Amino acid sequence: MCPISINMIETKKLRKSFKSFKKEPGVMGSVKSLFHREYITKNAVEDFDLSIETGEMVALLGPNGAGKTTLMKMFTGIIVPSDGEVLVAGHKPFLREKQFRKKVAIVMGQKSQLWWDLPAMDSFLLLQKYYEIPPKAFKKRLDLMNDILRVGDLLHVHMRKMSLGERMKMELIASLLHAPEVIFLDEPTIGLDVMAQENIRKFIHDYHAENKVTVVLTSHYMADVQALCKRLVLIFNGMKGFDGPIEKFEKILGHEKILSITSSEAIDLDHPLLANYSPTFSNKFRTVELKIPEDQLSEIGAQILQQLPIIDFSTEKLPIERVMKTLVECPDILLKDRSAP
Amino acid sequence: MHPNISKWWQTIKISWSKTLTYRVNFLMQIIGPALVFFFIKYNLWNSIYAGDESTVIAGYRFPEMITYHVWTLVVGLVGISNNSAGISEEIRLGKISSYLIYPFNFWEFHTASFLAFEVIQYLVASITLVILFYIGVLPDVSALHTVLGFIFCFFVACFWFSMQFIVGLIAFWLNETWSIRIILITLTSFLSGYLIPLELYPSWLTDILAYTPFPYLSFYPVKIFMGDTTHFFSGLAILIGWSFVSFFVGSLIFKKGVRLYTAAGM
Repeated sequence: MCPISINMIETKKLRKSFKSFKKEPGVMGSVKSLFHREYITKNAVEDFDLSIETGEMVALLGPNGAGKTTLMKMFTGIIVPSDGEVLVAGHKPFLREKQFRKKVAIVMGQKSQLWWDLPAMDSFLLLQKYYEIPPKAFKKRLDLMNDILRVGDLLHVHMRKMSLGERMKMELIASLLHAPEVIFLDEPTIGLDVMAQENIRKFIHDYHAENKVTVVLTSHYMADVQALCKRLVLIFNGMKGFDGPIEKFEKILGHEKILSITSSEAIDLDHPLLANYSPTFSNKFRTVELKIPEDQLSEIGAQILQQLPIIDFSTEKLPIERVMKTLVECPDILLKDRSAP
Repeated sequence: MHPNISKWWQTIKISWSKTLTYRVNFLMQIIGPALVFFFIKYNLWNSIYAGDESTVIAGYRFPEMITYHVWTLVVGLVGISNNSAGISEEIRLGKISSYLIYPFNFWEFHTASFLAFEVIQYLVASITLVILFYIGVLPDVSALHTVLGFIFCFFVACFWFSMQFIVGLIAFWLNETWSIRIILITLTSFLSGYLIPLELYPSWLTDILAYTPFPYLSFYPVKIFMGDTTHFFSGLAILIGWSFVSFFVGSLIFKKGVRLYTAAGM
């Protein structure tokens, strides 16, 4: 018997188009646009099919303007799709039923949802009423999140007086107080320092592990994606470019590992050990980057260590970052990959 | 407390604390309209009457004219002071997104904030009234008519709020609603009797105005404060009727507008 999979998010042929008008630059352009306007319709999201199971944590990646945020807005009911179907937690989000709103949460790294003129605690109390959270559950959840994120002293400070990292912690707490079934995190670590990024990442990881909620994450930091998600959905120009496990994504460009070595002296450009692995030299020929087939990595690595005066030796930490960069520069690779048998 | 009532009550409390966050703003809100009254209206009518107690303009002697304007000040404070700038800004800057996500919607939030604002304005109006009474600008005050006037003003405020809500929603279509707001406020100031009593207008204009809600926004409430309650019940009925119409138009506009909403800047 097949296991029954219950999808938290389901879209079919989802499309969102935006209409805008072309304006020539300068004052004359503005005057002309008063009388005649040429409209352009752009599909921000096109023919998008997606299924996300309950409890999954999925990364939604793509360059700026690819349509990630538009998708998030459609999932949460902020904007209405132009065509196609979308179902989140069993609801059509754009109907904005109150029952639906109680099941979802969204955190936007670039936009504060809490009230700037109020201390965080006032906002939380307001949300407690809006989401009808029983006082005991409210206190328990707040205390728990406070223990992990350590925001106790800040609860009575006005939001506008907080640092970006502090504000993001508050936004996260606010979004989780009502224990949503699905959480949309739109660049939750943007603009944060390394420590704050790591804290937020750990918090999201632990929260997901403990509560088994469905999480959809967008981020330009591949470290977020690598640390949090097993599955990755790539979006390019509003269309799905890739959907699958991260391991598979890492291998889109081939089954090679990038090895970086630094020698105490300049390395011979024609060194026979390196020549077959597309060497790229830097640092006055003392550092070289090699593309080595996965299955040969340990063998070649050992030989290099024996033959060269190596002072530093490392394999790349975030292979998906390289894959993303290459794909953004040359999206055709994906088309080739898809057409391959 | 019923969950819905506690949502409204909490929002009202939050609106109060937001108003009190900026002390200077709050102070200006109290003394601003009174200063405008003294520097402009009092001095203007003082020069027009030129200190002559016997001059009668459109049936008003100088003290009556000042009394009329004191009451327009009060009506202005409690009835037509709410503005739609905040609503438009929230749409334009994409802040409305929060209210599309929280299970307390945009209209509910703004209506609760309006009610909170009204309470503060009633307080401000009462303080202003007491001060004006003690400095002798307002010689005769009838407690009954003051209460009736204040009741009437609440309905003026409800209608004005629903009008302002509609103007704010136009931001779904226009980037800037500033000009529409100014047109509405200027027109209302002229046609409602807020700037000058309607008796000064030609009769054909007042005949036309009788079919609009404008006189009920300043002229009739002022008359009620001054002791003429002829239009109390008919005025209430008209205001309630118009409030319902504008409420339905507003919710229709919201439904249409929110389909166009792109959550810019989000």
